[in-house]
Amino acid sequence: MNRTPRTLNRILLGLIGLILIGIGGGLLWLTLDSGAASRWQRFAPEMLERIRAFGADTTLPGQSQSWVWVLLVFCMLAAIVLLVLWAAAQGRGRTGTLVSEYDDDGAPGRVAVSGAVAEQALRAALQEDPAVAAAAVSTYDVRGSSALRIRINPRQGAAPHLIAADATRLVEALDAALGREPAVLISIDAGRRLRFNREDRVR
Amino acid sequence: MSNDVRTRQIVSRETHASRAVASLVVVILGIVFCLYVLLEATLQALGQDAWLTDPAALGAWLSRLPENADTAVLGLSGLLILLAGLVFFLQAVLPGRRPRYSLPNPRAAVVVDAEVLASSLARRARLTAGVTAGQVLVTVGRTRIDVRIRPTSGIPVDEEAVRAAVTEELELTGLSPCPEVRVQVSPVGVIGQ
Repeated sequence: MNRTPRTLNRILLGLIGLILIGIGGGLLWLTLDSGAASRWQRFAPEMLERIRAFGADTTLPGQSQSWVWVLLVFCMLAAIVLLVLWAAAQGRGRTGTLVSEYDDDGAPGRVAVSGAVAEQALRAALQEDPAVAAAAVSTYDVRGSSALRIRINPRQGAAPHLIAADATRLVEALDAALGREPAVLISIDAGRRLRFNREDRVR
Repeated sequence: MSNDVRTRQIVSRETHASRAVASLVVVILGIVFCLYVLLEATLQALGQDAWLTDPAALGAWLSRLPENADTAVLGLSGLLILLAGLVFFLQAVLPGRRPRYSLPNPRAAVVVDAEVLASSLARRARLTAGVTAGQVLVTVGRTRIDVRIRPTSGIPVDEEAVRAAVTEELELTGLSPCPEVRVQVSPVGVIGQ
Protein backbone atom coordinates (compact mmCIF):
# COMPACT_ATOMS: atom_id res chain seq x y z
CA MET A 1 0.00 0.00 0.00
CA ASN A 2 2.83 2.42 0.74
CA ARG A 3 5.31 3.62 -1.83
CA THR A 4 8.30 1.47 -0.88
CA PRO A 5 10.33 1.05 -4.10
CA ARG A 6 10.23 -2.72 -4.12
CA THR A 7 11.90 -3.32 -7.48
CA LEU A 8 14.72 -0.94 -6.56
CA ASN A 9 15.12 -2.69 -3.19
CA ARG A 10 15.45 -6.05 -4.89
CA ILE A 11 17.87 -4.83 -7.56
CA LEU A 12 20.16 -3.11 -5.06
CA LEU A 13 19.99 -5.99 -2.58
CA GLY A 14 20.84 -8.41 -5.37
CA LEU A 15 23.82 -6.30 -6.52
CA ILE A 16 25.21 -5.91 -3.02
CA GLY A 17 24.62 -9.59 -2.33
CA LEU A 18 26.56 -10.53 -5.45
CA ILE A 19 29.44 -8.20 -4.50
CA LEU A 20 29.63 -9.70 -1.00
CA ILE A 21 29.41 -13.22 -2.42
CA GLY A 22 32.33 -12.34 -4.71
CA ILE A 23 34.52 -10.96 -1.90
CA GLY A 24 33.68 -13.73 0.56
CA GLY A 25 33.98 -16.46 -2.04
CA GLY A 26 37.34 -15.05 -3.16
CA LEU A 27 38.71 -15.02 0.39
CA LEU A 28 37.47 -18.55 0.94
CA TRP A 29 38.97 -19.72 -2.32
CA LEU A 30 42.35 -18.17 -1.45
CA THR A 31 42.48 -19.98 1.87
CA LEU A 32 41.31 -23.34 0.56
CA ASP A 33 43.08 -23.65 -2.80
CA SER A 34 46.88 -23.27 -2.85
CA GLY A 35 46.87 -22.94 -6.65
CA ALA A 36 44.58 -19.93 -6.44
CA ALA A 37 46.77 -18.48 -3.66
CA SER A 38 49.94 -18.67 -5.73
CA ARG A 39 48.15 -17.18 -8.74
CA TRP A 40 46.91 -14.32 -6.56
CA GLN A 41 50.38 -13.71 -5.22
CA ARG A 42 51.75 -13.51 -8.74
CA PHE A 43 48.94 -11.25 -9.93
CA ALA A 44 48.42 -8.90 -6.97
CA PRO A 45 51.88 -7.28 -6.62
CA GLU A 46 51.80 -6.43 -10.33
CA MET A 47 48.38 -4.84 -9.88
CA LEU A 48 49.59 -2.98 -6.80
CA GLU A 49 52.58 -1.63 -8.72
CA ARG A 50 50.29 -0.41 -11.47
CA ILE A 51 48.03 1.34 -8.94
CA ARG A 52 51.06 2.95 -7.30
CA ALA A 53 52.28 4.18 -10.70
CA PHE A 54 48.80 5.53 -11.42
CA GLY A 55 48.85 7.36 -8.07
CA ALA A 56 52.24 8.89 -8.90
CA ASP A 57 51.05 9.95 -12.38
CA THR A 58 48.00 11.70 -11.00
CA THR A 59 49.85 13.70 -8.36
CA LEU A 60 49.13 17.37 -8.79
CA PRO A 61 52.19 19.50 -9.43
CA GLY A 62 53.44 21.08 -6.20
CA GLN A 63 51.54 18.59 -3.99
CA SER A 64 52.45 15.28 -2.45
CA GLN A 65 49.14 13.51 -2.93
CA SER A 66 47.18 12.25 -5.93
CA TRP A 67 43.93 13.96 -6.88
CA VAL A 68 42.32 10.52 -6.96
CA TRP A 69 41.87 10.87 -3.19
CA VAL A 70 39.86 14.06 -3.66
CA LEU A 71 37.77 12.28 -6.28
CA LEU A 72 37.25 9.40 -3.84
CA VAL A 73 36.09 11.87 -1.17
CA PHE A 74 33.44 13.23 -3.52
CA CYS A 75 32.41 9.75 -4.63
CA MET A 76 31.92 8.70 -1.00
CA LEU A 77 29.89 11.84 -0.25
CA ALA A 78 27.67 11.10 -3.26
CA ALA A 79 27.33 7.46 -2.21
CA ILE A 80 26.27 8.47 1.32
CA VAL A 81 23.67 10.90 -0.06
CA LEU A 82 22.30 8.18 -2.38
CA LEU A 83 22.15 5.66 0.47
CA VAL A 84 20.26 8.13 2.67
CA LEU A 85 17.84 8.79 -0.21
CA TRP A 86 17.32 5.05 -0.61
CA ALA A 87 16.53 4.68 3.09
CA ALA A 88 14.19 7.69 2.99
CA ALA A 89 12.24 6.18 0.09
CA GLN A 90 11.05 3.25 2.22
CA GLY A 91 7.47 3.21 3.38
CA ARG A 92 6.33 6.62 2.20
CA GLY A 93 2.93 7.37 0.76
CA ARG A 94 0.68 8.41 3.66
CA THR A 95 -1.40 11.40 2.77
CA GLY A 96 -4.00 13.56 4.47
CA THR A 97 -6.30 14.22 1.52
CA LEU A 98 -8.78 11.69 0.22
CA VAL A 99 -10.26 13.68 -2.66
CA SER A 100 -9.09 16.94 -4.17
CA GLU A 101 -10.90 18.10 -7.27
CA TYR A 102 -11.58 21.14 -9.35
CA ASP A 103 -14.53 21.08 -11.68
CA ASP A 104 -15.07 23.89 -14.05
CA ASP A 105 -18.65 24.74 -13.10
CA GLY A 106 -18.08 28.45 -12.63
CA ALA A 107 -17.69 28.39 -8.87
CA PRO A 108 -14.21 29.38 -7.69
CA GLY A 109 -11.90 27.08 -5.72
CA ARG A 110 -11.17 23.41 -5.31
CA VAL A 111 -13.08 20.84 -3.31
CA ALA A 112 -10.93 18.75 -1.00
CA VAL A 113 -12.06 16.04 1.40
CA SER A 114 -9.68 15.24 4.21
CA GLY A 115 -8.72 11.62 4.78
CA ALA A 116 -9.85 12.06 8.38
CA VAL A 117 -13.49 12.06 7.19
CA ALA A 118 -13.26 8.50 5.90
CA GLU A 119 -10.89 7.41 8.64
CA GLN A 120 -13.06 8.49 11.55
CA ALA A 121 -16.37 7.46 9.98
CA LEU A 122 -15.14 3.97 9.08
CA ARG A 123 -13.35 3.42 12.37
CA ALA A 124 -16.35 4.44 14.45
CA ALA A 125 -18.66 2.23 12.37
CA LEU A 126 -16.32 -0.76 12.43
CA GLN A 127 -15.97 -0.69 16.17
CA GLU A 128 -19.70 -1.34 16.52
CA ASP A 129 -19.13 -4.81 15.03
CA PRO A 130 -18.74 -7.23 17.94
CA ALA A 131 -16.32 -9.37 15.91
CA VAL A 132 -13.89 -6.46 15.56
CA ALA A 133 -11.43 -5.95 18.41
CA ALA A 134 -9.69 -2.94 16.92
CA ALA A 135 -9.74 -1.06 13.64
CA ALA A 136 -7.50 1.56 12.08
CA VAL A 137 -8.01 3.42 8.83
CA SER A 138 -5.38 5.42 6.98
CA THR A 139 -5.19 7.20 3.64
CA TYR A 140 -2.41 6.53 1.15
CA ASP A 141 -1.40 8.01 -2.14
CA VAL A 142 -1.06 5.12 -4.62
CA ARG A 143 0.31 6.25 -7.98
CA GLY A 144 -1.41 9.58 -8.01
CA SER A 145 -4.80 8.48 -6.71
CA SER A 146 -5.77 8.09 -3.10
CA ALA A 147 -6.54 4.78 -1.48
CA LEU A 148 -7.87 3.73 1.92
CA ARG A 149 -6.23 1.10 4.07
CA ILE A 150 -8.61 -0.46 6.57
CA ARG A 151 -6.80 -2.53 9.13
CA ILE A 152 -8.96 -4.77 11.30
CA ASN A 153 -7.93 -6.88 14.27
CA PRO A 154 -10.72 -9.41 14.68
CA ARG A 155 -11.63 -11.14 17.92
CA GLN A 156 -10.32 -14.65 18.22
CA GLY A 157 -12.28 -17.09 16.09
CA ALA A 158 -14.21 -14.48 14.14
CA ALA A 159 -14.95 -15.47 10.53
CA PRO A 160 -12.89 -13.27 8.19
CA HIS A 161 -15.40 -13.33 5.34
CA LEU A 162 -18.14 -11.92 7.58
CA ILE A 163 -15.85 -9.12 8.75
CA ALA A 164 -14.85 -8.40 5.14
CA ALA A 165 -18.50 -8.31 4.06
CA ASP A 166 -19.34 -5.93 6.91
CA ALA A 167 -16.43 -3.65 6.04
CA THR A 168 -17.36 -3.75 2.35
CA ARG A 169 -20.88 -2.57 3.21
CA LEU A 170 -19.42 0.36 5.13
CA VAL A 171 -17.08 1.21 2.26
CA GLU A 172 -20.02 1.18 -0.16
CA ALA A 173 -21.92 3.54 2.13
CA LEU A 174 -18.89 5.82 2.16
CA ASP A 175 -18.72 5.64 -1.66
CA ALA A 176 -22.33 6.79 -1.80
CA ALA A 177 -21.65 9.65 0.60
CA LEU A 178 -18.48 10.80 -1.15
CA GLY A 179 -19.57 10.24 -4.74
CA ARG A 180 -16.08 8.85 -5.44
CA GLU A 181 -14.70 5.33 -5.25
CA PRO A 182 -11.15 5.33 -3.94
CA ALA A 183 -9.21 2.06 -4.04
CA VAL A 184 -9.68 0.22 -0.74
CA LEU A 185 -7.59 -2.36 1.06
CA ILE A 186 -9.25 -4.32 3.84
CA SER A 187 -6.45 -5.98 5.77
CA ILE A 188 -7.57 -8.43 8.43
CA ASP A 189 -4.52 -8.80 10.68
CA ALA A 190 -3.91 -11.06 13.63
CA GLY A 191 -2.17 -8.22 15.43
CA ARG A 192 -0.25 -8.52 18.65
CA ARG A 193 -3.33 -8.73 20.81
CA LEU A 194 -4.45 -12.00 19.28
CA ARG A 195 -1.01 -13.49 19.00
CA PHE A 196 0.08 -13.21 22.62
CA ASN A 197 -3.09 -13.50 24.60
CA ARG A 198 -3.79 -16.44 26.86
CA GLU A 199 -6.79 -18.61 26.52
CA ASP A 200 -10.05 -16.80 27.12
CA ARG A 201 -11.92 -18.08 30.14
CA VAL A 202 -15.41 -17.00 29.17
CA ARG A 203 -16.72 -17.95 25.77
CA MET B 1 -6.34 3.10 -14.13
CA SER B 2 -9.37 1.02 -13.27
CA ASN B 3 -10.12 -0.06 -9.74
CA ASP B 4 -9.70 -3.74 -10.70
CA VAL B 5 -6.10 -3.31 -11.80
CA ARG B 6 -5.28 -1.26 -8.73
CA THR B 7 -6.93 -3.84 -6.49
CA ARG B 8 -4.80 -6.58 -8.00
CA GLN B 9 -1.66 -4.51 -7.53
CA ILE B 10 -2.55 -3.77 -3.92
CA VAL B 11 -3.19 -7.47 -3.22
CA SER B 12 0.12 -8.55 -4.71
CA ARG B 13 1.96 -5.89 -2.71
CA GLU B 14 0.20 -6.91 0.50
CA THR B 15 0.90 -10.63 0.09
CA HIS B 16 4.62 -10.16 -0.66
CA ALA B 17 7.34 -8.74 1.56
CA SER B 18 8.79 -5.35 0.61
CA ARG B 19 12.39 -6.08 1.67
CA ALA B 20 12.50 -2.74 3.46
CA VAL B 21 14.28 -4.17 6.53
CA ALA B 22 17.09 -5.80 4.53
CA SER B 23 17.43 -2.57 2.54
CA LEU B 24 17.80 -0.52 5.71
CA VAL B 25 20.44 -2.95 7.01
CA VAL B 26 22.37 -2.55 3.76
CA VAL B 27 21.99 1.24 3.95
CA ILE B 28 23.38 1.38 7.50
CA LEU B 29 26.32 -0.93 6.67
CA GLY B 30 26.97 1.01 3.48
CA ILE B 31 26.96 4.37 5.26
CA VAL B 32 29.40 3.11 7.91
CA PHE B 33 31.72 1.77 5.21
CA CYS B 34 31.47 4.95 3.12
CA LEU B 35 32.12 7.17 6.16
CA TYR B 36 35.27 5.21 6.97
CA VAL B 37 36.55 5.38 3.38
CA LEU B 38 35.64 9.07 3.32
CA LEU B 39 37.70 9.73 6.44
CA GLU B 40 40.75 7.85 5.20
CA ALA B 41 40.49 9.45 1.75
CA THR B 42 40.26 12.92 3.29
CA LEU B 43 43.34 12.26 5.42
CA GLN B 44 45.21 11.06 2.34
CA ALA B 45 44.08 14.01 0.25
CA LEU B 46 45.31 16.41 2.94
CA GLY B 47 48.61 14.54 3.23
CA GLN B 48 47.98 13.54 6.87
CA ASP B 49 48.77 10.22 8.52
CA ALA B 50 46.18 7.47 8.13
CA TRP B 51 43.73 6.83 11.01
CA LEU B 52 43.48 3.03 11.15
CA THR B 53 45.17 1.65 8.04
CA ASP B 54 47.51 3.24 5.55
CA PRO B 55 46.06 2.46 2.08
CA ALA B 56 49.52 1.55 0.70
CA ALA B 57 50.17 -0.84 3.59
CA LEU B 58 46.68 -2.30 3.21
CA GLY B 59 47.32 -2.91 -0.48
CA ALA B 60 50.63 -4.60 0.25
CA TRP B 61 49.01 -6.77 2.95
CA LEU B 62 46.20 -7.79 0.59
CA SER B 63 48.65 -8.70 -2.16
CA ARG B 64 50.51 -11.10 0.18
CA LEU B 65 47.40 -13.04 1.24
CA PRO B 66 46.92 -15.77 2.37
CA GLU B 67 50.41 -16.36 3.85
CA ASN B 68 50.43 -13.37 6.21
CA ALA B 69 47.13 -14.15 7.96
CA ASP B 70 45.75 -16.94 10.10
CA THR B 71 44.12 -19.44 7.74
CA ALA B 72 41.21 -20.10 10.10
CA VAL B 73 40.42 -16.41 10.61
CA LEU B 74 40.72 -15.65 6.91
CA GLY B 75 38.59 -18.63 5.86
CA LEU B 76 35.97 -17.91 8.51
CA SER B 77 35.67 -14.24 7.60
CA GLY B 78 35.42 -15.22 3.94
CA LEU B 79 32.65 -17.64 4.81
CA LEU B 80 30.77 -15.03 6.86
CA ILE B 81 30.96 -12.44 4.07
CA LEU B 82 29.81 -15.11 1.61
CA LEU B 83 26.84 -16.02 3.81
CA ALA B 84 25.85 -12.37 4.31
CA GLY B 85 26.00 -11.87 0.56
CA LEU B 86 23.92 -14.98 0.03
CA VAL B 87 21.27 -13.74 2.48
CA PHE B 88 20.96 -10.41 0.67
CA PHE B 89 20.96 -12.09 -2.73
CA LEU B 90 18.22 -14.53 -1.71
CA GLN B 91 16.20 -11.62 -0.31
CA ALA B 92 16.40 -10.10 -3.78
CA VAL B 93 15.57 -13.27 -5.70
CA LEU B 94 13.03 -15.19 -3.61
CA PRO B 95 9.36 -14.22 -4.00
CA GLY B 96 9.00 -13.43 -0.29
CA ARG B 97 5.40 -14.50 0.16
CA ARG B 98 3.85 -13.44 3.43
CA PRO B 99 1.45 -15.80 5.22
CA ARG B 100 -1.60 -13.87 4.01
CA TYR B 101 -4.48 -14.81 1.77
CA SER B 102 -6.57 -12.76 -0.58
CA LEU B 103 -10.36 -13.11 -0.38
CA PRO B 104 -12.58 -12.37 -3.36
CA ASN B 105 -14.48 -9.11 -2.96
CA PRO B 106 -16.45 -7.02 -5.45
CA ARG B 107 -15.34 -3.64 -4.12
CA ALA B 108 -12.07 -3.81 -2.22
CA ALA B 109 -8.81 -5.71 -1.98
CA VAL B 110 -9.15 -8.04 1.01
CA VAL B 111 -6.20 -9.81 2.61
CA VAL B 112 -6.37 -12.04 5.68
CA ASP B 113 -3.53 -13.20 7.91
CA ALA B 114 -3.15 -16.99 8.00
CA GLU B 115 -3.50 -16.79 11.78
CA VAL B 116 -6.92 -15.17 11.57
CA LEU B 117 -8.10 -17.80 9.11
CA ALA B 118 -6.69 -20.59 11.30
CA SER B 119 -8.38 -19.14 14.36
CA SER B 120 -11.78 -19.00 12.65
CA LEU B 121 -11.42 -22.57 11.35
CA ALA B 122 -10.31 -23.74 14.79
CA ARG B 123 -13.40 -22.20 16.32
CA ARG B 124 -15.62 -24.03 13.85
CA ALA B 125 -13.78 -27.32 14.42
CA ARG B 126 -14.00 -26.86 18.17
CA LEU B 127 -17.75 -26.22 18.10
CA THR B 128 -18.36 -29.22 15.84
CA ALA B 129 -16.19 -31.59 17.83
CA GLY B 130 -17.39 -30.32 21.20
CA VAL B 131 -13.94 -29.82 22.69
CA THR B 132 -12.22 -26.84 24.32
CA ALA B 133 -9.98 -24.39 22.52
CA GLY B 134 -6.79 -25.97 23.88
CA GLN B 135 -7.60 -29.29 22.20
CA VAL B 136 -7.67 -28.02 18.63
CA LEU B 137 -4.64 -26.99 16.62
CA VAL B 138 -5.09 -25.66 13.10
CA THR B 139 -2.18 -25.01 10.73
CA VAL B 140 -2.92 -23.12 7.54
CA GLY B 141 -0.60 -23.67 4.61
CA ARG B 142 -0.76 -22.67 0.96
CA THR B 143 -1.96 -26.04 -0.29
CA ARG B 144 -3.38 -27.72 2.78
CA ILE B 145 -4.93 -27.09 6.15
CA ASP B 146 -4.16 -29.40 9.04
CA VAL B 147 -6.67 -29.74 11.85
CA ARG B 148 -5.37 -31.67 14.83
CA ILE B 149 -7.81 -32.59 17.57
CA ARG B 150 -7.10 -34.24 20.91
CA PRO B 151 -10.52 -35.54 21.99
CA THR B 152 -11.75 -35.58 25.57
CA SER B 153 -11.22 -39.06 26.98
CA GLY B 154 -14.31 -41.23 26.50
CA ILE B 155 -16.07 -38.86 24.11
CA PRO B 156 -15.42 -39.82 20.47
CA VAL B 157 -14.94 -37.13 17.82
CA ASP B 158 -16.50 -37.59 14.40
CA GLU B 159 -13.59 -36.91 12.09
CA GLU B 160 -15.70 -36.70 8.94
CA ALA B 161 -18.16 -34.22 10.49
CA VAL B 162 -15.29 -31.95 11.56
CA ARG B 163 -13.78 -32.16 8.09
CA ALA B 164 -17.10 -31.26 6.46
CA ALA B 165 -17.64 -28.33 8.83
CA VAL B 166 -14.13 -26.92 8.33
CA THR B 167 -14.41 -27.35 4.55
CA GLU B 168 -17.76 -25.57 4.56
CA GLU B 169 -16.32 -22.67 6.57
CA LEU B 170 -13.36 -22.53 4.19
CA GLU B 171 -15.61 -22.47 1.14
CA LEU B 172 -17.50 -19.53 2.64
CA THR B 173 -14.28 -17.50 2.67
CA GLY B 174 -13.83 -18.25 -1.05
CA LEU B 175 -10.08 -18.80 -1.01
CA SER B 176 -8.65 -19.64 -4.39
CA PRO B 177 -6.99 -22.06 -4.84
CA CYS B 178 -8.87 -23.78 -2.06
CA PRO B 179 -6.48 -25.72 0.19
CA GLU B 180 -7.16 -29.34 1.07
CA VAL B 181 -8.43 -29.97 4.60
CA ARG B 182 -6.92 -32.76 6.68
CA VAL B 183 -8.25 -33.74 10.07
CA GLN B 184 -6.21 -35.80 12.49
CA VAL B 185 -7.87 -37.03 15.63
CA SER B 186 -5.26 -38.00 18.19
CA PRO B 187 -5.55 -41.58 19.50
CA VAL B 188 -4.69 -40.26 22.98
CA GLY B 189 -7.48 -38.44 24.78
CA VAL B 190 -7.33 -35.59 27.29
CA ILE B 191 -8.63 -36.04 30.81
CA GLY B 192 -10.60 -33.50 32.81
CA GLN B 193 -11.62 -31.03 30.14
